[in-house]
Amino acid sequence: MEQEVGESLIQLGSLGDPNSSSSDPVTRVRKLLFRRMLVGIKDGRFFLGTFHCIDKQGNIILQDSIEYRSTRHSTPSPMEQRCLGLILIPFSCRTSCHVDCSINEQLSLLKV
Amino acid sequence: MADRAVSEEASMAGHATKLASIPASDNTVWADASPLLEAACRGLRDGELIHGDNFNLFAAMSALEIMDPKMDSGIVCRYYSIEEAIENGAAPIPISLESTIDVQCTIDIMDHLLACEAAWHKGHSLAQTVFSCIYLLRLDRTASHALLHSYCRVIRTTCKAVVSVVSDARTHEEEDLFTMTYGLPLNGDGDEKCLSMLNAVEETISRQLRACKATSSKRRVSEDLEPLQSNTNLEEGLCKALLCRLRFRKHFFHVLTCMKRPQGRGLELARKHIASCILELESILKSAEFLRFCSDEFCEDDIEDKTTASGREPIGFDATLNSRLSAPTPPRAIKILSWKKAVEYFVKLLHDLDVMCSYSLDPHLESLLRFVVQFQKSQPDLVARAHLQLLLVQDGKLYGRDPIFAVITKAAALPEATKNHDIQKNEYIVQLGQLVVNLLKILCTNVAWQRRKLGKILQDWRVIYVQLELAFRNEFGEVSSSSNAENICMKIFQHILIWVEEQTYWIACRFLILGFELDLYSASEYCMVYWYLYAVLIKLAEKTHLKTAFSYDTAKRKGKKKRDSPKDLARESRIPPAVLFLQCYICLAEGLTMMLAALRNEIMVLQSPSPFNTEQEKFVQHFELLQRACIPDHVSYPSFKESTTQARFSTLVMYNYFKDAQRIAKEVKSSFSNDPDRLAELRRLEQVAEHNSVALNLICRVGALDPSLKVSFEFSHHPFFATAIVRRS
Repeated sequence: MEQEVGESLIQLGSLGDPNSSSSDPVTRVRKLLFRRMLVGIKDGRFFLGTFHCIDKQGNIILQDSIEYRSTRHSTPSPMEQRCLGLILIPFSCRTSCHVDCSINEQLSLLKV
Repeated sequence: MADRAVSEEASMAGHATKLASIPASDNTVWADASPLLEAACRGLRDGELIHGDNFNLFAAMSALEIMDPKMDSGIVCRYYSIEEAIENGAAPIPISLESTIDVQCTIDIMDHLLACEAAWHKGHSLAQTVFSCIYLLRLDRTASHALLHSYCRVIRTTCKAVVSVVSDARTHEEEDLFTMTYGLPLNGDGDEKCLSMLNAVEETISRQLRACKATSSKRRVSEDLEPLQSNTNLEEGLCKALLCRLRFRKHFFHVLTCMKRPQGRGLELARKHIASCILELESILKSAEFLRFCSDEFCEDDIEDKTTASGREPIGFDATLNSRLSAPTPPRAIKILSWKKAVEYFVKLLHDLDVMCSYSLDPHLESLLRFVVQFQKSQPDLVARAHLQLLLVQDGKLYGRDPIFAVITKAAALPEATKNHDIQKNEYIVQLGQLVVNLLKILCTNVAWQRRKLGKILQDWRVIYVQLELAFRNEFGEVSSSSNAENICMKIFQHILIWVEEQTYWIACRFLILGFELDLYSASEYCMVYWYLYAVLIKLAEKTHLKTAFSYDTAKRKGKKKRDSPKDLARESRIPPAVLFLQCYICLAEGLTMMLAALRNEIMVLQSPSPFNTEQEKFVQHFELLQRACIPDHVSYPSFKESTTQARFSTLVMYNYFKDAQRIAKEVKSSFSNDPDRLAELRRLEQVAEHNSVALNLICRVGALDPSLKVSFEFSHHPFFATAIVRRS
């Protein structure tokens, strides 16, 4: 289920109609502001926070973020977490990026 | 490189599972936004951002940058966790299967822990120092290794005791890293048994030592006692090396517990343990040669930097494992003290504690203050200062024994009986008591912090004086009624008022003098500093004199009926030694002020050349806190200018202040024949006076004629009275 939704958002990103202003990716990313975002980085950690800002280079700023970190190299392993607040995640170390979406919302976004 | 590959691989494999373990909100799912973000970034212009209304670029600059080694403490280093480090064999138990190596490695761990402990005392965090030891982080694991277990346990218990002393004393505002123990396993069960464990291990090893000595001399194999390790040649040396280390820990722990006893009751016993500690430290130092000899990686030249006696790297330490505990940003990299420096540190600490333990717990505030000032001259570190403070102030009483009001009445030279007078319930007297307690605490802090605090509390002392004076006037405004009870009240008030002033000037003096110790004054500012010191000292001497005269007055009135000998009258006219002592200071301060002023006025040296501040601005910077508290009254930059612009060598020669200082110092020596500290101080003052007197004459004779004369000032004879050095260039 999760993966399906993930794929559908990819389509949302790539199939947008360039003529419609509402389907412009910049506008749609703007709509993601203040949503919970989960960013994974190269060393295996994840950061969960409120999407605050992104620049042209793809660097992301999250607010009120929490760091998730596994306690072992082997998976699965228990996760450790701690609060970090305002963080900047450089594009170069980002490996994944997910947003928290309700299914209905996504469908409506898709329709546009 | 390999680590990085591993972690990347792990992150790929683990992604899906980890996503599942971090829950989205109710009725929502995680949707991949990467492609959308990528597309959006392509659509952005350079420098353009996507952000909300609440975005503030300045605030965003303070964001913690992930994967930046200076900002992100969470970067996965070698291991994800302590458990993983242990599974990978970072802290094996036993350390080696070969018993000789196991013992040697244990000694290395002990030595490195000592170095870590010293680094902690010197101001680094516990997490980066002592608790970089993986064995300490998981103490229960070491249970099967009695030697390591007992040592680690006593270390942990000691750390806990030291943390509690320092945090109780709260002298560590500037050194606040010290008591940060968040997330560290400092508390554990069974630590009260650490001494008995240590004793048991010590007993075993001393038996092993005896056994090996017996076998080597009489060729007799002792039964039922296994040797410490398998190599008989090393047995004796290793046993000895371990014994002094274990005994040091035992005695050091005793020192700490003895010193904590209320009212200084454990001080005598503490001194015995301190002496034992110092002996064991000597043995520890001696063991280094043997341990280095055993070490395979024998290397003579860089042994100074090593954190172990053997020179080997210790096993089982990794400071990165708990780097995330204290703050989101990683702690700065630190260097652990070398083993030699660590031993030196502990020797110094023990000496400082010994000085404290040998103090007589004098109930006279004046001599106590002198003791604390003297103690601070040896620059004791935080741990020693914290112990001193806890000794001085316990349960709001001096030494936990003398009520502060009793201390005040004694200091104000009031008769013994007044210490129980009801006046102590007066709210201002209570406040005054609090000020005394605060003063004592401040005097135990590090010098820089102390000076700032002393400057700030001057105003409190000024305010309490005004309030006491007001209360005094309200109560005794009309002097008509003079019953005996009121008479006593009045006397107490009068005495205390004089003493408060005296104490205030004492604080001001200390504030000014600490500026020299901290190197806050430049040579061009000496003139104004000595001038101010002179002004404060005059007041201090005046109040001290008044106080002694007052107490003599009351004493005399009491004894008047009994005898009225001419000897008493003679003593009355004499200036008390304490005041003469201050007069010696006064002469030196005035002499230096005038000499510096004359140098500036006539030979044009030591003028303030700074393009940034005028002299008046510097005056304000240095004495703002004193000025704000009106200490002394009517002293200002114009009055400084007025009293120094006329200074000329011609007049200075006629009235040589240094000669006076020398004379007074000689005279007053006999009054302090049983006070070695003050005798030494008088000798120093005499030297400064003599040197400056000679220098002054020299400048007077040739100064005006010889433009190549160079005059500089040094603190070679006294910490804050400069000596003039005259040279011809």
